[in-house]
Amino acid sequence: MVQTGSTRTFMWFCMGPVLLLLIIVAVAPVTFAIIDSLRDLSLAMPSKRGQFVALDNYRDLLGTDGNFYRSLGHTAIFMMIAVPIELALGLLIALWINREFAGRRLVLTILMIPTMIAPVVVGMIWRFFLMPSFGVMTVYLNRLGLFEETSVFSGPITAFGALIIIDIWEWTPFIMLIMLAGLSALPQAPIEAATIDGASRWQIFRHVQLPMLGPLIVVAVMLRAIDASKVFDTIYVLTGGGPGNATEVISTFAYRTNFIRWDLGYGAAVCLVLAFASLVVAALFFKTVSGKAKAVDETP
Amino acid sequence: MNRRSLITHRLVGFAVPLLLLLAVALIPYIWILLASFKTRGELISPEPKWVFDPTTINYTEIIYRGFDGYLLNSVIIGFSSTALTVFVGTLAAYGFSRFKIPAGNHLFFYILATRLGPPVAYALPMYLIFRELGLVNTYAGVILAHTTFNLVLVVWMMRSFFDDVPREVEEAAYLDGCGHFRVLWTITIPMTYPGLAAVSIFVLIFSWNELLFALILTGGDTRPLTVMIPSLVLHTGTQWGQVASASIIQSIPVLVFIFFIQKKLVQGLTFGAVKG
Repeated sequence: MVQTGSTRTFMWFCMGPVLLLLIIVAVAPVTFAIIDSLRDLSLAMPSKRGQFVALDNYRDLLGTDGNFYRSLGHTAIFMMIAVPIELALGLLIALWINREFAGRRLVLTILMIPTMIAPVVVGMIWRFFLMPSFGVMTVYLNRLGLFEETSVFSGPITAFGALIIIDIWEWTPFIMLIMLAGLSALPQAPIEAATIDGASRWQIFRHVQLPMLGPLIVVAVMLRAIDASKVFDTIYVLTGGGPGNATEVISTFAYRTNFIRWDLGYGAAVCLVLAFASLVVAALFFKTVSGKAKAVDETP
Repeated sequence: MNRRSLITHRLVGFAVPLLLLLAVALIPYIWILLASFKTRGELISPEPKWVFDPTTINYTEIIYRGFDGYLLNSVIIGFSSTALTVFVGTLAAYGFSRFKIPAGNHLFFYILATRLGPPVAYALPMYLIFRELGLVNTYAGVILAHTTFNLVLVVWMMRSFFDDVPREVEEAAYLDGCGHFRVLWTITIPMTYPGLAAVSIFVLIFSWNELLFALILTGGDTRPLTVMIPSLVLHTGTQWGQVASASIIQSIPVLVFIFFIQKKLVQGLTFGAVKG
């Protein structure tokens, strides 16, 4: 490139808008939140008018708040059950559907519907599907004798289970799509060679395809795990964190603290702890992806 | 294997399981589609109705609930934030692709971090400052929030598209005396049009589907569809017919778009980490 004085100016022309935006929507808000997290501020309780309390909010949150740790636990369990099942199912479907057939594009579009429609719509669809007494799923489950109660969302275990099943329904296609992209990019020569050598389909998968898909699986699992840790819309619509707080995850916990109880000082501390934790995760992701994605790109 | 048994084999081994798979993916959606054409009595009947006399009453009833207003809000928020995100993100992506930005890696990382954390963690800080600035319950607040949230997608994808444009093309234009801005605007960006179109559609869908920021930052006259739909769950009972018809109208544009951007779907959903 021709190096002139105008190059520098142009570089700032490119980066200026994004810097300005980040200052307005990231730097300034976080500064504000840090200040508020050091205060006792609630829009619902007149006694909390913004008195300075130093690190009390953080001490209460990290030291004694059982609900916070419970919601963290729920998030972890949700993630650790849903994501492996989604990976297994998505990979299986991708391996099986990875062939040419008439109407492939339409079929793939239909399969992607659960992932692409608004999560809030997914929540409402399932709320209707599982409605107490009259929901079509509830009716058939009752008739088959698989389920005795009138609503899956009245019991803590069934409510949590339902949320996980819905997440699997919603996100398995996402994994399938990534794996499909990976499979079609794999070089065919090793697979053909293995076939000629008389390898079974399982052996080909286990010893040829799976190792080559490795980096992609890491990326897919990380993306899914990050998304699962943020789950909000479906839970907000389906259980609101209930019954009791059986399905309370970190997002609904933070939402409830701030926007139902209006405990903004404490809530700011919650948000900053979550934001900090996510920075650590982001750093890990950044490292992994910039390494792994290159490995994927370089596959011919 | 003779011809007939080959066809049977194909049918049982592939077509039938494929139909089952499609059914699992689609039946909950079809059920809400059917529901949108049912009367109140058919919606909460102890005997699920798969065959019935369709009515369009739910689609007219949501109009009385101000559906057209919410739809317009969704359109305004979606298109404005898409325009802003694509403008800011494309410039930044070009900067990252062509120049050595001071502390560029850090900046790149913070843009990514805004997307990886739970949105609620960023929603409160935004709410606090937007409340001071008088941006709560306005279009501007939620548009800025969606822009921030989708920026990483545009930056990552456009950067990879810019990286694919050969430098020689630009250098030839520089030798002809074109300035930086002109090269970017008339040569480089047009070479990325297919990618740019896909990215824009992604950003539009994400904004169109977003609930949390909209829930917190809009109010009164600025609420989009995603906020309207759960608001039909009332203490006195849910208006299921209206939920169904609103959900169907909300999701139709998404279905149309995913059919057209299918080739870029993987790349968009993984922020460019995986290429299709």
